[in-house]
Amino acid sequence: MRPSWMLRLLAALGLLVLLAPGALVLVVSFSAGDFLTFPPPGFSLRWYAALFSHPGLMAALGTSAILAALVAALALLLGAPAAYAIARLDFPGRDVLATLLMAPLLLPTLVLGLGLLLVLQPLGLVATWPGLMLGHSLVAIPFAVRIMTTAFAAVPKELEAAAWTLGATPLRAALRITLPNAAPGAIAAGVLTFLVSFDETVISLFLVGPRLTTLPVEMFRYAERTTDPLIAALAMSLIAFALLMVAVVERLMGFTRAMGRD
Amino acid sequence: MSEAAPHLRLERLSRHYAGAPAPAVDAISLDLPRGALLALLGPSGCGKTTTLRMIAGLERPDGGRILVGGQDVTALPPHRRQMGVVFQSYALFPHMTAAGNTAFGLEMRGLGRAERARRARAALEMVGLGALAGRRPRALSGGQQQRVALARALAIEPELLLLDEPLSALDAKLREGVRDEIRALQQRLGTTTVFVTHDQTEALAMADLVAVMNAGRVEQLAAPEEVFERPATRFVATFVGRAARLQGVLEPGGVLRCGGLALRSATDLAPGPAEAYLRPHRVRLLAPAEAPPPGFDNLLDATLARRVYTGEVIALETETAAGPVMAELHAGADEAWRGLAPGAPLRLAFRPADLAVFPAP
Repeated sequence: MRPSWMLRLLAALGLLVLLAPGALVLVVSFSAGDFLTFPPPGFSLRWYAALFSHPGLMAALGTSAILAALVAALALLLGAPAAYAIARLDFPGRDVLATLLMAPLLLPTLVLGLGLLLVLQPLGLVATWPGLMLGHSLVAIPFAVRIMTTAFAAVPKELEAAAWTLGATPLRAALRITLPNAAPGAIAAGVLTFLVSFDETVISLFLVGPRLTTLPVEMFRYAERTTDPLIAALAMSLIAFALLMVAVVERLMGFTRAMGRD
Repeated sequence: MSEAAPHLRLERLSRHYAGAPAPAVDAISLDLPRGALLALLGPSGCGKTTTLRMIAGLERPDGGRILVGGQDVTALPPHRRQMGVVFQSYALFPHMTAAGNTAFGLEMRGLGRAERARRARAALEMVGLGALAGRRPRALSGGQQQRVALARALAIEPELLLLDEPLSALDAKLREGVRDEIRALQQRLGTTTVFVTHDQTEALAMADLVAVMNAGRVEQLAAPEEVFERPATRFVATFVGRAARLQGVLEPGGVLRCGGLALRSATDLAPGPAEAYLRPHRVRLLAPAEAPPPGFDNLLDATLARRVYTGEVIALETETAAGPVMAELHAGADEAWRGLAPGAPLRLAFRPADLAVFPAP
């Protein structure tokens, strides 16, 4: 049955509401004017040019990209074995472990950030790479575990059993047989945890300092001080980047499947 | 270790799943000589696959021992058992080619690259797949995947070959051919083999020994002819092949009194309520004035109830004073009987030894 025109109208309205701010930013980012106004007085690429020659934002972009890559690697390194244990092994407390690993997602990031600050301050880890990595990993690891658990569970157990009978130890079977067959999940987890870290703002607000700051924090500060369309150009660049990443995952395995929603 | 020692011995092997009312495998004991093919035959849930998985080391027994070549392997993990296993799903590694799959076990044994490739190639050629060595499982048909699984299991030159319903995923046409190929290969290599199936034809056609299993126990362990012709239990008589059931009372001398008739049997059971099973291919149809052949001491007057044409064989269902009895005609040899219609009177004869008699349940 085709959806009725009423339903289609509602859907269209919903989409419009969801996408309108993005469209607005898209238009403003090509503004030729000096202020965040709509409609813009004219169109140009001047704010994109200004963005890429802004030293503070570019430095923060570099920091955020490297940090996100490190966090993604760490989340996979720690998350994959945990996910394997949850998906494959039978041990007491497995369900408790699974719940605990998801817990950081349930806490408000404000609470997490404050807690981290209280712990890291005395250790002298605020505004350092290890401090930021720790904070971001806390929210990135649950995503990695979730996606990798789904990916490992989707690999038939018989494959591993077959590898054992052929002489592979359980570890070799896991590394040579199960892991390669869960590779699309690992890529999806890597991309998603990268984006989680790259976009993380609230925890970062507590953990950055003049020595080391991330892009979302720097953006936040910039938008507080200035009202020029540079911030729109930056927002559009980030959206384009995120879409590209999601497209890569979608291409590899289907984003919804990667998120473990099927 | 003497030559006569069994290659595989199961001693009171048991497995009881937590929460299940009865054990899945209940104290099974059996011996399998070197080079023989054993079929574990039974309905689903009879414990045959669990038994196979325990031999492979994929399932931990709750009791009993598994001995291979006289050595106790019960506590060994699967990767140290040298068992070539062909899974029902084949369980081919999707990210490796046919050659990669076949070489995997050799790689785990630390063989060099060249030696691995040579032996994997040889194993694939043995199953007729040399030309497809570079293909991934996805690009192979079901029958070809089955052969790769077999080649992979044989490439490690296993102590035992274990096959879990290896033909069930193939279509009927292919099944018979693959069945005979597996048997020929197994005999040529002399690999001691355990084969799980629910298909009696498969078991009878391939095995040196058949273990008929029911509810976690072995009902009978014998050669195929023995299992078919001389079933040891009522379950075997009904599960393997078709048989008519005649209920009556056994009298001294092996006479079964049944619906007013006295049927002679070769049983030495104690007198009492009993039932007998009679296979259709044992029943001889007699022409109106024909004398029964020597030895056919049991004669029955019957009426044809139904005639089922199945191609090579025409199955006859008849009514007798002793109850329904099945007989069969061979389309080629028994031309004279072709025109039989339901209601036709028949004379049936069979030998005393053809009745398999058991005490009434």
